[in-house]
Amino acid sequence: MSSHVPFDPQVERHLAELGEADLVVGIPSFNNARTIGHVVRAAGAGLAKHFPDHRAVIVNSDGGSRDGTPEIVASVELPGAATVLAAHRLTPVHRILTPYGGPPGKGSAFRTIFAIADLLGAKACAVLDSDLRSITPGWIELLLGPVVLESYDFVAPLYLRHKYDGTITNSIVYPLTRTLYGKDIRQPIGGDFGFSGRLAAHYLSKPVWDSHVARFGIDVWMTTTAVADDFRVCQAFLGAKIHDAKDPGSDLAAMLLQVVGSVFELMGTHASRWARADSPESVPLFGFPHGVGLEPVSVNVDRMLGIFRQGAVDLQEIWGRALAPDTLRDVIRIATADARPFHFDDALWVRVVYDFALAYHKRVLVPDQLLGSLVPLYLGRTASFVIEAADADAAEVETLISALADEYLRQKDYLTQRWA
Amino acid sequence: MWAFMNEVLRRTWAGFADRLIAFGPNLLAMLVTILAGAVLAGVLHVVLRWALPRIGVDRFAERTGIATVLEKGGIASQPSLVLAATVAWAVLGVFALLAIAALDIEIAMGLITETFAYLPQLLIGIAILLLGGLVAAFVRRSVLIAAVNAGLPSAKLLAGGAQAALLVLFAAMALEHLGVGRHVILIAFAILFGGVVLALALAFGLAGRDLAHTFLERVSRESKPGGNDFSRHL
Repeated sequence: MSSHVPFDPQVERHLAELGEADLVVGIPSFNNARTIGHVVRAAGAGLAKHFPDHRAVIVNSDGGSRDGTPEIVASVELPGAATVLAAHRLTPVHRILTPYGGPPGKGSAFRTIFAIADLLGAKACAVLDSDLRSITPGWIELLLGPVVLESYDFVAPLYLRHKYDGTITNSIVYPLTRTLYGKDIRQPIGGDFGFSGRLAAHYLSKPVWDSHVARFGIDVWMTTTAVADDFRVCQAFLGAKIHDAKDPGSDLAAMLLQVVGSVFELMGTHASRWARADSPESVPLFGFPHGVGLEPVSVNVDRMLGIFRQGAVDLQEIWGRALAPDTLRDVIRIATADARPFHFDDALWVRVVYDFALAYHKRVLVPDQLLGSLVPLYLGRTASFVIEAADADAAEVETLISALADEYLRQKDYLTQRWA
Repeated sequence: MWAFMNEVLRRTWAGFADRLIAFGPNLLAMLVTILAGAVLAGVLHVVLRWALPRIGVDRFAERTGIATVLEKGGIASQPSLVLAATVAWAVLGVFALLAIAALDIEIAMGLITETFAYLPQLLIGIAILLLGGLVAAFVRRSVLIAAVNAGLPSAKLLAGGAQAALLVLFAAMALEHLGVGRHVILIAFAILFGGVVLALALAFGLAGRDLAHTFLERVSRESKPGGNDFSRHL
């Protein structure tokens, strides 16, 4: 399958010269000149420190940067033995710079990386975001180590996050993935992963590379595919993830469409798998969980509630096409009630998500409109969570999220009975 | 004189009888054609009322928004029943035209020829209207969702305005295609749209100067890092 991914002649020659490699670290990029140097140095240091006897390659899959990103990758000096406090000789880390083909997006960049890993016969691979500021060499050990030393196929990241951070993950993606596929992966769309060469070849064999899922939902697709196709999965604690704020004014509807749309799409693909999935089992965690200072997250609860209440008035007709009658009735009730504090309970939220998953599956509306209309509901739920967790510490917040995940499991029959 | 009158009357009645006998078959053909059309339309109506819901026509209409368009047009019946009735009436209409043709009257033949020649234009005009209804409904939903998500208080007004504009556009296209008041429609449409655009530009540019300034300031503030109210949802 990797032969279907075309490479530049120069890259083909480089690959032929290399022949094979044990480890591949892939870094997709697009105009990341300011940050990619640090990521490459950290990856180089990690490989040198923790895998000195392994033949390793850093692959930069670039989407046509105009700010000199590939040139920086090519020229950045990798740490020497003294920097990583190594007493042994270091195996040189090779670098491959290649543009990626196919539809623009992270999925195409990853496909190129998988193809190179497959061609080189790599045993273990990792992919890293190109704008990471908090990456350390230890991340390489944590993402590749479980694959190399413990024969895991997939390593999902576990970051320490602010309690108001990652609410799409906490309120939809994590509990839904846990319920459907039976694996308690806390952050399924982390962005930095480790995986085996075997799994990379499996990813390449899937006919998704021209689809919406591969363009916008590659992270959740990788996690879901690894879990649904019964690969050995684990997690690695990486600490805080600090990266460039990606377009803070970005459209929330677009995010929901990309991420939640991909989750719903994959539910269709793996319907037979999740319909029979058992109770969730815990997933092994590597690394040493510890506390770190986190950047504060500002939240405008009033604005979120305002949009939710406006949605309850203006979008009732559209919500009525997705939500079951009693779900819609309960949503309107909490939107129009003047209860203080505002509360959007777990059971109702789970019914909302399941109803939207069913509506997506049955193509009640075009996906853009369906998931766009989910935004006010999501904001209402998030506002409720922010209010509830206002005085909670990290452990208490995890308890709230676990309770929500259990509610998803409790109502799973509601979903499976209506799916067909 | 009585004999003369009798002869005139006899000849008149005989002429009438001859013409009636000559016309009779045509009349009979017309009646048979109408009857056949009624029977066929009736049978089709019954068959389609049974079959169309079972092959998912109502579900398709619901999903594509055709049902909403019909509802907003005041048609409360299910789309499958509407379609069955439409087909039945169309069949009856065709047989009615054929029945008139069976009379073999020159004026009627001319009328029928023109009717059949105009039929494709009429069908295309109806298709343009139906398409316009669907597109307008789709755009209305998209604008409504986007406006609500942006927190705009006049979301329904904006959505309704977008839908109305598209309906007017498609109605004008359909009428232009049918050749109904061609120039009048074109000029009226140009005046209406041009006037609306000019009014909006004046309103926003002059009366809404301060609002525009505030809006642009807010957009500029939100596009700076840390300026968004909830930036890291993933």
